[in-house]
Amino acid sequence: MNFDGRKVFIIIFIVATSIIYSLKLFHMQVLDDTWTENAAFISETRREIIPPRGVMFDRNGIKVVSNSPYYDLRFVEKKIVDLDTSALAKLLQVDDTFIRYRFNEIVRQQGTYKGKTNYQKAREYTFLQGLSKEEIARIAPELYKFPGFYEVATSMRQYPYPNAANILGYIAEVDSSNMANDKYYKRGDYIGKSGLERFYETELRGNKGIKYLLRNAANNTIQAFDEGRMDTLAVQGKNLTLSIDIELQAYGEQLMQNKLGCIVAIEPATGELLAVVSSPSYDPNLLVGRQNISANYPKLLLDPHFPLFPRPTQAEYPPGSIFKLIQALIALQEGVITENTGFPCTSSIVGCHNHAPANNVSRAVQVSCNPYFYYTTKKIIEQGKKKSIFEDAAYGLEIWERYMHSFGLGLKLETDLYGIRPGLIPNPAFYDRWYGKNGWAFKTIRSIAIGQGEVKLTPLQMANVAAIIANRGWFYTPHTVKSIGDDGPKPEYLVKNKTLVDSVHFLPVIEGMRKVTEEAGGTGRNAKVLGITVCGKTGTVENPQGKDHSVFIAFAPMDNPKIAIAVFTENAGFGGTWSAPITSLMIEYYLNREVTDKAKEQRILDAIILPSIKKP
Amino acid sequence: MRKDQSIKQKADWVLIGLYFIMVIFGIVNIHSASNASFDISIFDISHNTGKQIMWLGISLFVGLIILVVDIKILQGSVYPIYLIVLVLLVGVLFMPPINGQRSWFGAGGFGIQPAEFAKISTALLLAHFLSSVNIRLQTIKDVVVANMIIAIPGALIMLQPDAGTLVVFTAFLFVMYREGITYDPIIVKIINSYPGVRIKQTWIGSNFIPILLIVIVLSLVTLSIRESEIILPFTMIPLGGKYIIITVLVVIFLLFYLVVQRIAQKRDKAKLVALGAVSALLLSLLVLGVDFAFENLKQHQKDRIELALGLLEDPHGKDYNRYRAMSAVGSGGLNGKGYHNATVASPVLNHVPEQETDFIFCTLSEEWGFLGSAGLVFIFTVFLLRIIAIAERQKNVFSRVYAYSVAMVLFYHFAINIGMNIGLAPVIGIPLPFFSYGGSSLLSFSIMFFILLKLDSERVNMLASD
Repeated sequence: MNFDGRKVFIIIFIVATSIIYSLKLFHMQVLDDTWTENAAFISETRREIIPPRGVMFDRNGIKVVSNSPYYDLRFVEKKIVDLDTSALAKLLQVDDTFIRYRFNEIVRQQGTYKGKTNYQKAREYTFLQGLSKEEIARIAPELYKFPGFYEVATSMRQYPYPNAANILGYIAEVDSSNMANDKYYKRGDYIGKSGLERFYETELRGNKGIKYLLRNAANNTIQAFDEGRMDTLAVQGKNLTLSIDIELQAYGEQLMQNKLGCIVAIEPATGELLAVVSSPSYDPNLLVGRQNISANYPKLLLDPHFPLFPRPTQAEYPPGSIFKLIQALIALQEGVITENTGFPCTSSIVGCHNHAPANNVSRAVQVSCNPYFYYTTKKIIEQGKKKSIFEDAAYGLEIWERYMHSFGLGLKLETDLYGIRPGLIPNPAFYDRWYGKNGWAFKTIRSIAIGQGEVKLTPLQMANVAAIIANRGWFYTPHTVKSIGDDGPKPEYLVKNKTLVDSVHFLPVIEGMRKVTEEAGGTGRNAKVLGITVCGKTGTVENPQGKDHSVFIAFAPMDNPKIAIAVFTENAGFGGTWSAPITSLMIEYYLNREVTDKAKEQRILDAIILPSIKKP
Repeated sequence: MRKDQSIKQKADWVLIGLYFIMVIFGIVNIHSASNASFDISIFDISHNTGKQIMWLGISLFVGLIILVVDIKILQGSVYPIYLIVLVLLVGVLFMPPINGQRSWFGAGGFGIQPAEFAKISTALLLAHFLSSVNIRLQTIKDVVVANMIIAIPGALIMLQPDAGTLVVFTAFLFVMYREGITYDPIIVKIINSYPGVRIKQTWIGSNFIPILLIVIVLSLVTLSIRESEIILPFTMIPLGGKYIIITVLVVIFLLFYLVVQRIAQKRDKAKLVALGAVSALLLSLLVLGVDFAFENLKQHQKDRIELALGLLEDPHGKDYNRYRAMSAVGSGGLNGKGYHNATVASPVLNHVPEQETDFIFCTLSEEWGFLGSAGLVFIFTVFLLRIIAIAERQKNVFSRVYAYSVAMVLFYHFAINIGMNIGLAPVIGIPLPFFSYGGSSLLSFSIMFFILLKLDSERVNMLASD
């Protein structure tokens, strides 16, 4: 049999295959550009250029947050040769096991895609982050022994003043939820975790630039991809000019040392916060860099005095007697009293202390007569418009709540301090939940008259009340940033908020506040400053958990006020004893840059007012 | 002395030249594909280049031995060689699995894959068997024995499981095809075992390779449209995938029937109609069988087939390797990016996995461009055609069968390996002979090649009736 046909068939089959392959190769390599584009995208490398984060200045142009150089230790696994882990551990001053652990951790952090790890041996990864100049000076000379490892300079936050940590906040590496919420962030990026760093994150971080590069076989950059057409430039983060007076802030923190509480100072004319002291506080430099954060954050978190808790915005305290100022203003506006209305000091209704008779509003403020404000508030709540006393109280309380809201109370003051709380101004619905509808009357809720009971204010709101009174009836939302770059504050901080009380009604109240500090029988004579007319009001907040809290709000000077302030000292007792002198020192320091009464200052600095901590 | 001279004079220097061109070009490529740093000495055996050069040395040494020993020794030891390889193929099944396959003896860089050598031992035994006296590939007994010689190592390789090498074993079907094999007696016997049926011959048994191609094309069509669906005209019956093809087959048969009724001679009518009916039935069964077989494949095998057919696009997942390999090849352009300048198939960036072994063709194509890749295809084709020419000039069956075996095994590797690099074949992990990194592969292909050279050089001494 002849099978030559079969031979020809096989030869044709082989030749046809080769021709088809050659044609396909010609199409892929010469004619069709698609694969060239695909290849470019595969070998293209995105290099992110992270611009320097914006820095912060205080109101006088003093730098309070800056960037300082730090170093990362990075590696490329492919370039590592015969790694001596124990020698490396010794050099880095870590445990032998840490080296292996860290490698595994890095691989784990890259995640997997369809079962394959995203970790690439030819890529650069950060082994240690945030090494200081001193550390790198020790490590870098030895690194030649560890090929594949090298140092890279980066920048980190630095705080020239060990103050204002609660305002400034801190930055840390993004976590997975940050990355899930905003695709901008990649692992290893920093993000503001609290305070202004968090609130102004988008302004401070600027915008990353992206450079697309092509790399050659040796992993060296060979050229800009697509002639740089797809590159984007990095936009530098904006600098912030704070309204904070860093020296006043530092002085305030010094005065509050060894005490729990806070100081909030506002420039009434602008709503700019001059100082926001939360005590105890911490040095913001403790939370710079990964190692610092992991060492110090847990300590701060577990500190029994809660230094991480931003009291000025998040602590909600009953305001105590300072609340009487608002009651008087509402009553005057509602016309239920006049400035010359007097009430007897009926201590059988609510307790009081010995004082001269409160025969008008300013005298009542001066002596802080409890029964006087009981009657005043009763007149606001029980206006006799409804037949039932229950319905009447509900009606009156609704009016009262509207006034309170106009003072920024019971609402979140939308300031730029991170994490604000609204405080609590009870309304009829609130009491209905407790007592049932028509289950309560003024008598039930009378403690709100003197700022006790259900009412709660944050120290920020207390200071804002002082600013409102200083302004005779209006306020700008308090804020910390005077200017973002050169663009001024956020526009919402330029909107004037008017209260529902006419300015004329403020005069008797302000007169009363002057008498508090200046006249015999005033409860806050400790707040007097030589040569400056300080208008203030004491408060002593009953504290069921311990000693009463001491509170004082004030503004000065009386005409053309420059500063409005609230001082809250936990467990310090009578308002006039501790918070009033602290207020006067702050006012004097702010207006004159020095204090005359050194003895008073020393008494405050020496005072240790800390509740005993129960050891677990 | 006499033997050396005879080899020098009678060896096929064209083939030897092509062999050296390929292995040297192969090592040049491996050097680029596997070394990040270019200043590494090519003789440093801790690196791929050095290892491959070492393996080339071993291969040449073994080749020289093959060339100088008496051909009778080789021909006389085909049974022991075949049995030793079978023992190794059984033994390897007890080795610890690497990537799910029990294919390797030894570990690290110096392992041995017995399946590589099974190709040689099978080729030798097949050549020996077919060259024996009174062997006719038209008798049932001889056809069965010849197929068993291929099937036994094939089955052991399937157990590893090494699908790639198993596919290569079907290359021997082409060899037997060339030697005139027909499966007709078997098919006729099976068909005639049904009472009342009596046929003399089928076209299928002797033309199984063309029919195999028809089957492959029909299978590809079946797989390509198995997910699609049409509504049958004039009815509301939806037809899915395989049933479309079966409907088409039935329609073709009906047309064929009408034509036969009209033009065929009376005595042929029944026969032709029966032939048409059987063909339509068998093809329909094939369609159903392919569909059923596909359903029963493992998911990753299904994915590979669907990717090769373009039914699935997943460049960053399942199609990762192929997409990257094709990007490397396609970006080479006419002249390539230059030696050591690959940006996709680069050893540092690791964009193409396995790029020094199964995907070595991409480095070559990216760095040498169309000139390099088409040049390789051309050289390889010339090499294959030269081997076929050598096969055809042999006077004895042993040498011819062996030469055809070498040609077809190399062709399979060439077609599948390059095909998967350019998207014309599914990803089956088999090396590109003389180019892919790997000692086992280079050594076995070289031994295969030198035996061929030896047989060819002895063609005058070996009688046709040997």
